[in-house]
Amino acid sequence: MASALRPMLLRQTALSAATRRAATVPASAFPSRVTPFQSTIVKNAGRIAAFHASSRRSLLPPGPQVIKGTVNDAVPVPDPVPTHGSYHWTFERVIAAGLIPLTVAPFAAGSLNPVLDATLCALLLVHSHSGFQSIIIDYVPKRKYPGAYKISLWLLNIATVLAGVGLYEFETNDVGVTEAVKRVWNA
Amino acid sequence: MAALRSTSSRLFAAASRSSAGPSMFVRSMASVGEATVNADPKSSSSARNKTFQIYRWNPELPNEKPKMQAYTLDLNKTGPMVLDALVRIKNEVDPTLTFRRSCREGICGSCAMNINGQNTLACLCRIPTDTNELKIYPLPHTYVVKDLVPDLTHFYKQYKSIKPYLQRDTPAPDGREYRQSKADRKKLDGLYECILCACCSTSCPSYWWNSEEYLGPAILLQSYRWIIDSRDERTEARKAALDNSMSLYRCHTILNCTRTCPKGLNPGLAIGEIKKEMAF
Repeated sequence: MASALRPMLLRQTALSAATRRAATVPASAFPSRVTPFQSTIVKNAGRIAAFHASSRRSLLPPGPQVIKGTVNDAVPVPDPVPTHGSYHWTFERVIAAGLIPLTVAPFAAGSLNPVLDATLCALLLVHSHSGFQSIIIDYVPKRKYPGAYKISLWLLNIATVLAGVGLYEFETNDVGVTEAVKRVWNA
Repeated sequence: MAALRSTSSRLFAAASRSSAGPSMFVRSMASVGEATVNADPKSSSSARNKTFQIYRWNPELPNEKPKMQAYTLDLNKTGPMVLDALVRIKNEVDPTLTFRRSCREGICGSCAMNINGQNTLACLCRIPTDTNELKIYPLPHTYVVKDLVPDLTHFYKQYKSIKPYLQRDTPAPDGREYRQSKADRKKLDGLYECILCACCSTSCPSYWWNSEEYLGPAILLQSYRWIIDSRDERTEARKAALDNSMSLYRCHTILNCTRTCPKGLNPGLAIGEIKKEMAF
């Protein structure tokens, strides 16, 4: 942040020096007086983004990086939340690994087991849910768009439930996923 | 003075400009096409001229958009590395060109920049001998201080947050130094060489989107360096600091970090090892 401010401060000093030189009254006569011009600069200083060459738009918040605190402060360390961290990652990997045999098994065995089919459906659903969740966390960051983040996650939840209901219907009233893939494959 | 205009007036000005022209994209690339500066105008027929397109932006002129400036050098009179060319341009052609450099041998990490689309150290990057233009940009997705100088404040703040130093409570058994077996020392190879040039972090798309919360490959590599150090006694605390959805797990194994590392390290592998250590 300090590095971002430095040139701005430099420019201000240069400006104030210039105004002081231009003034007919010797600077020593009013040592502590600030000219109105300077005071507006100082007042505006906080609002002027020294590094934004292009104009600011209110469409999206500026820039990807907001630096909080001074240069010497470390970035705050978040509290540990294993359910969103290590447990979540392990869970994701277990499901992804489990999907491999489940996808191959019915075709390798050549027989259709409804329980196996249902497990495959459930795992596929959870797998794609966590995949989409990851996309939302990446591209609709909570810190920047808390509202949109919440809405997206709920939309995803609804979509997952709908897909679950659809898969249940398909499994119970129709041929099931494995048989459907088989038929499309042979068609 | 123009920089002191109020935000609203600038907004209106920008809006009217964008409706008139095709300048749809606010954060567009630097415009190309500046007058070429030739350092060796009286070049002989054996001259091997190479043009360097270099990103220029001056914070003292905030109303001017960033631009690409071309410099042509005779490679016969220039050293073999890109940094040699940059130093020669600064010495002989344009002293206003700004870049960081220090050791000129790939150990300080100052001259990290984007050369022909790849983040690397200018001092370790040979100038390609073909006649194509060489494009040099600052590290991508960083705020630019001037020309090729990126603002790495946040990067260093993140480095500080992982406490990159030995933490222990028990004194050394012989009261002199903390000893380590050869096998334990070997685990640090490939990690301690990192010079924190930020090439990997700024090449990571995940870090581009979430640099405020995601630590990025360079910092995670350093984090792993302290997690597996047998002398360190805060391993669990270090792991707990990463155990949330953002700090570590925004890594999606894109492996741009490993591809770009000018020191030939493997931050992607280090992050994978942290994930494995934390898994069970």
